[in-house]
Amino acid sequence: MSHRYAGISWNPQKRAYDLMVAAGVVLYLVTFLALSSLLHPAATAETLLIRGFGSCAFLLLNVVLCIGPLCRLDSRYLPLLYNRRHLGVTTFLLGMVHGAFSLFQLHTLGDSDPLISLFTANRNYQSLADFPFQPLGFLALLILFLMSATSHDFWLRNLTPRVWKSLHMLVYAAYGLLVAHVTLGLLQSERSPWLVAAMGTSLALVLSLHVAAARKERELDDSTPKAQEENYVKVCAVSEIPEKCAKLVSLRGERVAIFKFDGKISALSNVCRHQNGPLGEGRIIDGCVTCPWHGFQYQPESGAAPEPFTEKVSTFRTKLVDGCVWLDPHPLPPGTYIEPSRIGRS
Amino acid sequence: MLEHAVAFLVRAYYAYTLAGCLFAILFVIRGVQMVDVQARGAGVGFRLLIFPGVIAFWPLLLRRWFEADGEAPAERNAHR
Ligand code: HEM
Ligand code: FES
Repeated sequence: MSHRYAGISWNPQKRAYDLMVAAGVVLYLVTFLALSSLLHPAATAETLLIRGFGSCAFLLLNVVLCIGPLCRLDSRYLPLLYNRRHLGVTTFLLGMVHGAFSLFQLHTLGDSDPLISLFTANRNYQSLADFPFQPLGFLALLILFLMSATSHDFWLRNLTPRVWKSLHMLVYAAYGLLVAHVTLGLLQSERSPWLVAAMGTSLALVLSLHVAAARKERELDDSTPKAQEENYVKVCAVSEIPEKCAKLVSLRGERVAIFKFDGKISALSNVCRHQNGPLGEGRIIDGCVTCPWHGFQYQPESGAAPEPFTEKVSTFRTKLVDGCVWLDPHPLPPGTYIEPSRIGRS
Repeated sequence: MLEHAVAFLVRAYYAYTLAGCLFAILFVIRGVQMVDVQARGAGVGFRLLIFPGVIAFWPLLLRRWFEADGEAPAERNAHR
């Protein structure tokens, strides 16, 4: 919601988050290097650094991918989501150190260009067991670069949210490439089967969390309204909505957040204009619906962001009958003021 | 065969990146505030942060810069 771009809009939470991430990364690297130099006294320092940075990056990518579905399943994980972008950028930087070290170590000795050597040193592209795994890491790194480089809100606006979102969906392609890169790399260097098992476990965890979150969303979309009358459908009891929070309903594939605040009921589109965050999982703070992801705010009566901001979401008409909320599922143009339904007057 | 194809692609990649670097220097100094009103008066930190992305997406931004026509672009809805 900034009016003029800043590099990073720092605040105490972001600092604490980044400090924790940095401490975790340093702790991991130090532990990894200490343990593996004990276990593999013959390995060179370069090899250990390559392995340390590579595995740290891959581990972090798994964490990044778990955060999304975890938050959908349980809102207590939301603080993790808050600064996920910095986690993504950290993943890229660690992967870059690993890739640059590998490239330098393995491909700068011959007379051909290191990148050409990366793709042609091993030509067993027809073989599965000996498949050149390093180019897969390079392609994944390229995707991680594109995502990190476009993580500033400037890009969200200038690439358009649709393109930006598609670009960031490529993280799944990068993840697939890396699973192949790591698995083939481990198999070819005949490392411990435990590492391959750990790899399989992380893949299973990421996949099952995504399936569980998708199933939960489907349940919501399938929940059909209980009764219908004129244009209105009955959606829930007023008592089901916690104060200053929302109940989420899904009508004709459109998700609507019904908020209760100060004895009033207002309904808004669930989709935040910033990055499609779930407004219905946010709360009312200072009289405004506040997105749980990055804090964009909207007035519940009109769906418009408070001055001087310009974001607007759709609103919906509501009425109260016998302690139940009825909703007109036709979205009104974003920013349309609708008098809230008053509890106790129906 | 593989050697030639890879050599061609890698050179194209270097050329694209080099052109992107040169473009990005001009863009973050002059172009960005013509393409996006919110970048007017933005600081060095912001300009450095978008630099790598400009290298990657330079043809797109070059077009936007031409279309901006030196005029301030009409204020658009911030998102979408
Ligand atoms: C230019 C790009 C890359 C190159 C040239 C490259 C090269 C390599 C090489 C040579 C190995 C084998 C190391 C060994 O067995 O000692 C390896 C393993 C690995 N790479 Fe990469 N890689 C690249 C990108 C990435 C990225 C982006 C990630 C993760 C985000 C990654 C994660 C890993 C992991 C987790 C391993 C296994 C580490 C281990 O053996 O303990 N790589 N890579
Ligand atoms: S998605 Fe970023 S604030 Fe709502």
